[in-house]
Amino acid sequence: MKTSLSLLFAALLAAGAVHAEAPRADGTVLLTGADLVTVSHGTIKGGELLIRDGRIAALGAKVDAPADAERIDLAGKRVYPGYIAANSVLGLTEIEAVRATNDMAEVGAINPNTRAQVAINPDSELLPVARANGVLTANVVPQPGKSGVIAGQSALVKLDGWTYEDMTLATPSGMHLFWPEARLPAWLPEDFRKRAKEAAGKKLAALDLAMRDARAYQAAKRAGTVKTEDLRWEAMLPVLDGKEALFVHAESSADIRDALAFAQREKIARLVLVGGQDAWRLADELAARKIPVILGTSQRLPLRRWEAYDTAYANAAKLVQAGVTVAIANQGESQAASNERNLPYQAASYAAYGMGEDAALRAITLTPAEILGVADRLGSLDVGKDATLFVADGDALDARTRVQRAWIRGHELDMANRQTRLYEKYKSKYEGKPRP
Amino acid sequence: MPSIRSRSRRRTLRSCLAALVLTLLAGAPLHAQVDTRPVEGIADRTPQLTAFVHARLLVKPGEVIEDGTLVVRDGVIVAAGRGAKVPAGAARIDLGGKTVFAGFIDPLSAYAQPATAEAAPAATGRRGASPSTPQPQAGAAYWNPRVHPQDDVAATAKPDPQAAEKLRALGFTDALSVPQRGIFRGQSALYALSDAAHGNDALIRARVAQHLAFETSGWGSDEYPGSLMGAIALVRQTLYDARWQQQRLAWQAKRPEAERTAPNDALAALAPLAAGRQPAIFATDDELDYDRALAIAREFGLKLVLAGNGHEYRMAPRLAAAGVPVIVPLTYPEAPAVEDPDAALDVELAALEHWRWAPYNARVLAEAGVPFAFTAAGLKKPESEFWKRVRKAVADGLDERTALAALTTQPAAMLGVADKLGTLEPGRLAHFVVADADLLRGDDARIYETWIDGKRYRQADPAAPDPRGAWNLAWSGGSGPASLEFRGKDGEFGAKAGGESFPATQDGARLLLYMPGKLLGSARERVVVVAQLDDGALDGRAELEDGHRLRVHGTLAKPAPRALATLPAKPPLPSEPLRFPAGAYGRNGLPQQPAAVVVRHATLWTQGPQGVLEDADLLVEKGRIAALGRNLKAPSGALEIDGRGKYVSPGIIDPHSHIAVSRGVNEGTHAVTSEVRIGDVLDPTDMIIYRQLAGGTTSALVLHGSANPIGGQSQIIKLRWGADAEGLKFKRAPETIKFALGENVKQSNWGDNFTTRYPQTRMGVEQIDLDSLLAAQAYGAALKAGHAADGGPLRRDLRLQALWEVLQGERLVQIHSYRQDEILGFIRLAQQFHIVPTFQHVLEGYKVADAIAKLGAGASTFSDWWAYKFEVRDAIPYNGALMTRQGVTVSFNSDDDEMGRRLNTEAAKSVKYGGLSDAEALALVTVNPARQLHIDKYVGSLEPGKDADFVIWNAPPLSTLAVPQQTWVDGRKYFDRADDLAERARIESERAELIAAALPERVKALAHDAGKKDADKPGGAPEAAPSLLQGDELLRRYAARRPIYHDDEPVNGCTDAESH
Repeated sequence: MKTSLSLLFAALLAAGAVHAEAPRADGTVLLTGADLVTVSHGTIKGGELLIRDGRIAALGAKVDAPADAERIDLAGKRVYPGYIAANSVLGLTEIEAVRATNDMAEVGAINPNTRAQVAINPDSELLPVARANGVLTANVVPQPGKSGVIAGQSALVKLDGWTYEDMTLATPSGMHLFWPEARLPAWLPEDFRKRAKEAAGKKLAALDLAMRDARAYQAAKRAGTVKTEDLRWEAMLPVLDGKEALFVHAESSADIRDALAFAQREKIARLVLVGGQDAWRLADELAARKIPVILGTSQRLPLRRWEAYDTAYANAAKLVQAGVTVAIANQGESQAASNERNLPYQAASYAAYGMGEDAALRAITLTPAEILGVADRLGSLDVGKDATLFVADGDALDARTRVQRAWIRGHELDMANRQTRLYEKYKSKYEGKPRP
Repeated sequence: MPSIRSRSRRRTLRSCLAALVLTLLAGAPLHAQVDTRPVEGIADRTPQLTAFVHARLLVKPGEVIEDGTLVVRDGVIVAAGRGAKVPAGAARIDLGGKTVFAGFIDPLSAYAQPATAEAAPAATGRRGASPSTPQPQAGAAYWNPRVHPQDDVAATAKPDPQAAEKLRALGFTDALSVPQRGIFRGQSALYALSDAAHGNDALIRARVAQHLAFETSGWGSDEYPGSLMGAIALVRQTLYDARWQQQRLAWQAKRPEAERTAPNDALAALAPLAAGRQPAIFATDDELDYDRALAIAREFGLKLVLAGNGHEYRMAPRLAAAGVPVIVPLTYPEAPAVEDPDAALDVELAALEHWRWAPYNARVLAEAGVPFAFTAAGLKKPESEFWKRVRKAVADGLDERTALAALTTQPAAMLGVADKLGTLEPGRLAHFVVADADLLRGDDARIYETWIDGKRYRQADPAAPDPRGAWNLAWSGGSGPASLEFRGKDGEFGAKAGGESFPATQDGARLLLYMPGKLLGSARERVVVVAQLDDGALDGRAELEDGHRLRVHGTLAKPAPRALATLPAKPPLPSEPLRFPAGAYGRNGLPQQPAAVVVRHATLWTQGPQGVLEDADLLVEKGRIAALGRNLKAPSGALEIDGRGKYVSPGIIDPHSHIAVSRGVNEGTHAVTSEVRIGDVLDPTDMIIYRQLAGGTTSALVLHGSANPIGGQSQIIKLRWGADAEGLKFKRAPETIKFALGENVKQSNWGDNFTTRYPQTRMGVEQIDLDSLLAAQAYGAALKAGHAADGGPLRRDLRLQALWEVLQGERLVQIHSYRQDEILGFIRLAQQFHIVPTFQHVLEGYKVADAIAKLGAGASTFSDWWAYKFEVRDAIPYNGALMTRQGVTVSFNSDDDEMGRRLNTEAAKSVKYGGLSDAEALALVTVNPARQLHIDKYVGSLEPGKDADFVIWNAPPLSTLAVPQQTWVDGRKYFDRADDLAERARIESERAELIAAALPERVKALAHDAGKKDADKPGGAPEAAPSLLQGDELLRRYAARRPIYHDDEPVNGCTDAESH
């Protein structure tokens, strides 16, 4: 056993890709020699970072560390705050095509009481794969069913823990409204378009009714006349009271415009736009109303044939230029969940087309932490924040760069996952090793 | 004459009268034809000799005889000319002031055809249960129910007097009745549009043409063909079968002992078509279909007539060069929905341009020298739209003579009846139209009569006085306006007097004017003035209050000129020039190929033996790479590009792509469809071509999907944006074919309805591959022998032909695969048949990399996709590196429109996952796919002699921050970021201009619609909203047949259900 383990270790070092050293008990750790990419206040070249009690206890060119601190020499490496996947279905899905493994979308139009938190599978094979590239936190968002409008409450979780309760950082982290899509492909026949438009109309009507009913419930609640609680409207109270943000998912110009008008009409105090493929077209309004945007993936094609090829790529830069707060996320799809690890490369495309690398990195770390209300704990390398961070052997936005070690709240992760295990297994086949 | 109070009542009365007249006439025998029918009752022996005198005869386009005489005997023109002798005993009809045109012919009519529903994909019902096994059919039919060339309209159609009357009202005297459904739809028949009840009396010519169309059953149906390429393959195979059937029957006639040949009416009916005697009228859906029909016509020597779709102007030079006549519809698009700025975003520039250009369609064809005929087919309301649009075409610069030819001589020639119809020359049938001279110009021009087979059909009396023009009026017994103007046509005028407009109707010499009472000093809202017309004068009276009478005498001061006004100067063509593709980023021809290009002082990632060259030059001459190195001497005049700070790599090659395909990437209806060809259905207008160029991609293998074990023939292309479909093809590249294994081909993720097609397991997949290759071997043996197994003529089988080419090593196999068992299984099969395939996806290739390497097969995989379906659960991003280390030639592919434009960064991931070097990584998307596709002699690396396909980046090509600045193919610059930025400005301004131009027309249409909506609001409950499951399914089906110039909706992605 020992032999095979050490062989495995040697093989891993040779591959240089993964770090499968058995995680130690959480203790005090001093990272030394690495460039600390703080995100909040620049990069500390060859600095030191002290992890104690799950937090960043100190960082700087040189820090005072207790004598018993484990010192890890990371010369030539870089330390980054963990990425936050701000719009994800990690934990709610395993294999897109296998229906039994999907718990992303409940039936019905109005499900504000649905909570993502309770369906997150801590042992999903997808989680360690995401972690292995530095995605250490995810906002897990319930998705709309076929007729869905208000899909429910998201939960912000760290991608480490025995149970979903262990994992949870914040719940609800927001209420999610999926704006009925008005935009349809031009090639759809007239009758189909008509019916789809009617279906969208029904959703809007359901939303309208839901808001009215929720307000009525709110009034009754204040008057003390509610006898048995209505789960749906109870869940809406924090949104109506302005305590919980409403995340509106909308992509096209018309949908965003309608969604913004809705929010104004309904006096939604805290609004976040998610998706926003056309958001740049409404950048001024978004900036003026201080509505932050969790931009969907850059890795998509323009909505329209005549639009410039880089319309999606340039979206972020245009929003930032107009003064909009921009986070970058994936699409909340099963297929995106399995490759949540590619979040930094989606950010990189926004960076390459005008956003710049620093802003792009911030958009997958500190900005989503701010939007999700956890900037006091996550998103940057700052004293007092959770020690949720990773070590990379180069620029993390570059696809060649390896993430080598990672900590979540001071707990060092096992970077192995289903994929590395298969890799090792079959690598050993070609090395003539006996079958395990 | 009853009094007329309202417009609608007036109409009702008129149509009642018309019906009555029709009934009276229906029993009357026609005298145009000699027949064998016994006479019932008293014979009609009325002499049938008529002379039309003082007419302006438009004998044929360009030949006008003023004050001519037309003599018709027994329904045939016997003389036409100025001073042609009026034979003794002839009835005389004076057509003074009127023009006689040869009768108009609609060469593409649904006349006398049963109404058919639009071929929409079924929303519900049985699907996929037992694919490819159509219900048994009556008769000796072809196996495919869409192939029924034996259908004979003349044998089944019944003349339709009511439809005929409507067409006659437009001046049509003859219409080709065209079968409406199928691929080989059957044979059309030319009918006279008389009111004859018997086919004998109306049929001019039977079996005029065979009608073809690329009709498909659509995605998810079980009926072959489900795709455009399937339809084309079926046309081809059918035509080969028709040839073979003749050969076989001839062979068998001499060999009574030979096995009986199955009779087949369909194939027999194709003989005249195959011999080039009978024209093939080919329906087209878009501007790319012309080439597809032309290619088939060339391959089989067909006499082709193209049935157009209104986009012909975009391909005019090509149509002219082909010398093929075209039937042109007048389906100009309505003004696009531009009123809402958000919605206007979704109006494609190409659609705006089409709106602008469509009315010029005929003019552009005429100027290019394309022979064409008009059809009213496709118009929603031909009665109001047809002439308006012909006149619009003329007003927009279509030569009037050509327009007339398109209604007369051209259709007559296309349909092979130029000796009978189309002119007023002696010997032609007396099918003609009496109309105003300005029929092709003036919206007020009238058609008075059509004559068919010697019989008159009257819409208006040509001898009736024409009140149109300006009148002077004198009133007695009261006062009224001193002048009046009549405008309009067909007995329904607008009149204008004293600043008021009001209606008027005419019946013969009697004229009723519905004047506002105030014009006559009356308090009534309307006062009817009844007038009698007489040679430039009118006398009328009106009764006012208290029985007070008012009289009026009028003189026609200035008749409205019915003679030809001189046409205004020919207007210029629209200022938006025609590009290809139309709309955004279109081009005027290919980018120039400079004689020499040199990129100086760049970092060259050659991917060849020279490795990475710093501060080096790349010299290109005549489209090929001439040299790489420092301080290269370039020929004088070479285009110099400053490469300082830039990186040059070979163009990226995507070895698994589904871009640029029209109407379906899968022919998934049969388990084996090796006969279908992606090369038949390339879509050069697909914007993704340009967008991928902007991502550095220059070549791609465009694959058939993976819906069946043996899919179709794939096509290697270069991304030559601006070229036509043929120009996209990488001509020196080998032929390829797609095979597939795993969940898709056994329909695992297609839902519960797909459980009966063989195969449903990996076991069955292996057997069907084996069985197909054995069949191909047998076919090959017969090919070599030159005859079938029984000695008879060999039936050319395109399905087996392609597989035989595989066995001959002439066609590369791309095998879609996931799990190691199926990969290994195919390796064994490949060894048995000496095939060296490239495995596609091959996500568990790392488990059997040694076996793949031993076979010498390639492996083309995703960088890191996994977990989207069960069979990719074990997919790992180390796959590429592991296989590379075992000696497999590995490439990374996209299988996705979007990913196909950033394959450089996909390749970069292999450095992280498995530790490939930078050069090895970039090789995954350059030289390695080139090797797999056997095109590494030409592309894949920067080496002297290879094609100058390269990308200039602003950062190292593996960097996620690298942005292509220029992309070159064949030494031509197909993408330049600076040019792109300039083009954006053009697009914005052209859009703004066209939207502004379309807005007034759109607003008018909206106002019209709003008016209508109030009138016919539907009653009852609205239709239930569809369940979205149904919606998704429908969406996919429609997506598979989306037209060209679509947005880049992600419908060709590699998901379980779409099966690529």
